[in-house]
Amino acid sequence: MKGTFRGGVHPSHKSKDPTKGVKTREYVSDTVKIIMNMNIGAPAKPCVKKGDQVRVGQVIGEAQGFMSVPVHASVSGTVLAVEPIPYLTEAPSMAITIQNDFKDEWVELHPLGDVEHVDPKLVIPAIQNAGICGMGGACFPTHVKLSLKPDQKCDTIIVNGAECETHLTADHRLMLENSKRIVDGLRAVMRALDVKNGVIAIEDNKADAIAAMKEASFGRQGVTVKSLRTKYPQGGEKQLIEAITGRQVPSGGLPIQVNVVVLNVGTCAAIADAIIDGKPLISRITTITGCVRNPSNLRLRIGTLVEDLIGECGGFSEEAGKIVFGGAMTGLPIPNTAVPIAKATNGVVVYNKHDGASVEEGPCIRCGKCVSVCPIGLNPFQIKAAADADDLEKCKALHVMDCILCGSCSFDCPSRRWLTASFKNAKQKITLQAKKAAAAQQGGTAK
Amino acid sequence: MSLILSSAPHIRTHNTTTRLMGNVLIALAPCVAAGVYFFGLRAALVLAVSTASAVLAEFVWQKLAHQKVRISDLSAAVTGLLIGLIVSPTVPWWTVMIGSFFAIIVVKQLFGGVGDNFLNPALAARAVLLASWPTRLTSHPAVGFSADAVSAATPLASMKGISLNDLLLGHVGGAIGETCKIAILVGLAYLLITRTISWRIPVFTVASAFLFNLVVSGSLNDSLTCILSGGLLFGAVFMATDYATSPMQSYAQMIYSVLIGIITVVIRKWGVYPEGVTYAILIANIVAPLLDRFIPQKIYGVIGKKKEVKA
Amino acid sequence: MSTAEKKQGLGKVFMNGILDENPTFRLVLGTCPTLATTTSATNGFGMGLSVTFVLLCSNIVISLLRKFIPDKVRIPSFIVVIAAFVTILKLLLQAYVPSLYSSLGIFLPLIVVNCIILARAEAFASKHPVVESAVDGLGMGLGFTIALTLIGAIREILGSGSIFGINIFGASFEPMLILVLASGGFLSYGILLGIINAITNRNRKAKLEKGEN
Repeated sequence: MKGTFRGGVHPSHKSKDPTKGVKTREYVSDTVKIIMNMNIGAPAKPCVKKGDQVRVGQVIGEAQGFMSVPVHASVSGTVLAVEPIPYLTEAPSMAITIQNDFKDEWVELHPLGDVEHVDPKLVIPAIQNAGICGMGGACFPTHVKLSLKPDQKCDTIIVNGAECETHLTADHRLMLENSKRIVDGLRAVMRALDVKNGVIAIEDNKADAIAAMKEASFGRQGVTVKSLRTKYPQGGEKQLIEAITGRQVPSGGLPIQVNVVVLNVGTCAAIADAIIDGKPLISRITTITGCVRNPSNLRLRIGTLVEDLIGECGGFSEEAGKIVFGGAMTGLPIPNTAVPIAKATNGVVVYNKHDGASVEEGPCIRCGKCVSVCPIGLNPFQIKAAADADDLEKCKALHVMDCILCGSCSFDCPSRRWLTASFKNAKQKITLQAKKAAAAQQGGTAK
Repeated sequence: MSLILSSAPHIRTHNTTTRLMGNVLIALAPCVAAGVYFFGLRAALVLAVSTASAVLAEFVWQKLAHQKVRISDLSAAVTGLLIGLIVSPTVPWWTVMIGSFFAIIVVKQLFGGVGDNFLNPALAARAVLLASWPTRLTSHPAVGFSADAVSAATPLASMKGISLNDLLLGHVGGAIGETCKIAILVGLAYLLITRTISWRIPVFTVASAFLFNLVVSGSLNDSLTCILSGGLLFGAVFMATDYATSPMQSYAQMIYSVLIGIITVVIRKWGVYPEGVTYAILIANIVAPLLDRFIPQKIYGVIGKKKEVKA
Repeated sequence: MSTAEKKQGLGKVFMNGILDENPTFRLVLGTCPTLATTTSATNGFGMGLSVTFVLLCSNIVISLLRKFIPDKVRIPSFIVVIAAFVTILKLLLQAYVPSLYSSLGIFLPLIVVNCIILARAEAFASKHPVVESAVDGLGMGLGFTIALTLIGAIREILGSGSIFGINIFGASFEPMLILVLASGGFLSYGILLGIINAITNRNRKAKLEKGEN
């Protein structure tokens, strides 16, 4: 039986994704702008200044504490600027601009050798030093995820190759073109955490990827490949865990509480690169699709500007209305094309003026479609009413904090209501409120 | 260059309110055709008046209340057509007109418009018409005769001697849309294929009425007659599934449907009225929000958490 | 207080019962007889006048006795006074208007526990002098009468095709029976309440806007 979960939607994949069968190409641009706060947690602190010469893989941003990863130069050349630039976040982000000299000079690398023989204790520090964070979208520092507390146990590692997001094929191409590296990365983590069971989970619409991964994992200890029913959000962490293990992550908890760690395929490949070659995370595969002349998957250096990669894809085929980082269901719109890609940017989707236009919200007709598609089992229409009335307490009571913001309810709403957007807003407000309350309490006790 | 900044998701389903309501209209087409075939142009006139006056009522109300006119979402047309289909073909045109006005203005718009009504507008209108002009509503022409010459008291009151076959095909007296069960089933199939409604409410309603009738009467034939006669099938497919007035969660939907099935049989067997579907659905409509509220949802990870705490 | 001011004050008390604090439409008190006895304009009018009579008399008596009734037993005392007048009224109606007496039925003795009367006794008559209490009783009673007659008229016109028993539409009119049934009472009362609320809200808004300008 194929693993799956309750609820979910089938976003129409407009014909076949044009990037599916196209081999990934390498693209290196003239300049890169490397953002310092790519990961969740503390941003890195720039440790180079204007005019410095840097090599590929050189640390240019130092990690600030445990919940942070270092940032490395993705090209060799001269530092042009260290300054804040507008990014997806509200406040501008610190960024380091490097002029590429195209010499591709690397810093001295320290490979740890074969994943089956590396000292397990060295794996997690190597992951941290390589600046690896979740490449599926969230960019949570991977070494934090893998550093278990003494009372935590992990018995299964799931490699997320579901790629349920619409339009995106980056993980699909990676599984076809770099299948062995993904298995290597998984094995390294399995050995580091002493886990016997590693599952590579792939949606059943990617038969070639399943075959490739099966071939690559043949004879590797404890590694299995599982196919999943094609349904959105199959690649959501919670949905994936339920589909593979039948366990449910407790509300407000983390996967490790049900003894599972989930890693993206890209993250696994990056881990393998860090251990076998000693190379830090400086490039990734990104799908560029939508209204571009030549939709493709590109292996891009971190920090490549959107305008450059769109030029590489032949430019816009129509006037662009909206450009999104990520897929159609959860992607974040970017303010302009001077924005660089980050470690977690798995796709750049360009919509024309018509498709990108913001839709007008109609009245709720209580059809209940949002309730039936919610993969968490929430009542989106009720939460929306509470959120519109700014009743945060009621939102909390209706479990808005369990919402994974997958967008299924908004997608399926015949009245085009902005359900997910209002939940995101409510969640942010509640988090802010909790932070303020905690700060107030701390201040109180300090006095 | 300015880019649009709008929140995810960036694609939406092709389904719109208009399309869903259009699906219902298409699903009602076989019933309309059967009604006009059996009862003639008179039925067509009733349907035209009911639909047109519902749309007109909605338009006028929204204009007067300075609201955005939303007649193009077709919800008023659906309500109007449903009213026409659940009255007798001999009903005078002004009666259905009052019914449509009542449904749209009092039941729907006074409570906030589409999605906010707590009763099914079409059924509430029928209940009002039934209370106001009982003889007009309950005199049904027997099929095959001139409508004016013979009018049976009610199809259920004169049930004896009608074969199941006739009931299925619609060779019986009754409301315009309710007699031909084949047409209703075709409509149901269309609604299910287009995923306009879920199978739960119609199936559970009819099944519970059948089983409850079987328990009460002990006769298979009587139970089959029960689900094939009157407005039960039509109500289960087109009325009980009304979006705004039915529960949203699956368990709540099941209880709601069973409630309709049982109340229908209770009214038919022991009530003073020969037909009880209208009141059964209206009662269940009132209970629906309570069902949604008090039947616990299964939220991912929430039940697991409680167990963990106990352990 | 000059006499002119006093007169103005009395007028205000009187109009208060009819408009600003109309027991039926603004305070939503005494809804049980409102719904039950408004099947025709005549019944509504009769009920209204009956309540006015009791209200006027009980307000006067309670106001006179207000200094002698101990606080602890005031409600039973009010009830005794009201019940006395209701009994008088009942006997009078039975003797002189038997048709109205029979159509009001149980709702006539139920005036004893009518919340308007008790509320005015408690909130007004037990705190104000006799003249004001009498005017208040009269105003409230008339407000109630007007409301009941209005609802009764609407229900009678549409539900039986007549007004005060006089047929107005002719034989071809098919009345909307539901309006003389209990559910029709709820429907017409609810819709009238809504309309009156909408009008007062609009007036208030207009006043506010004027005030601001």
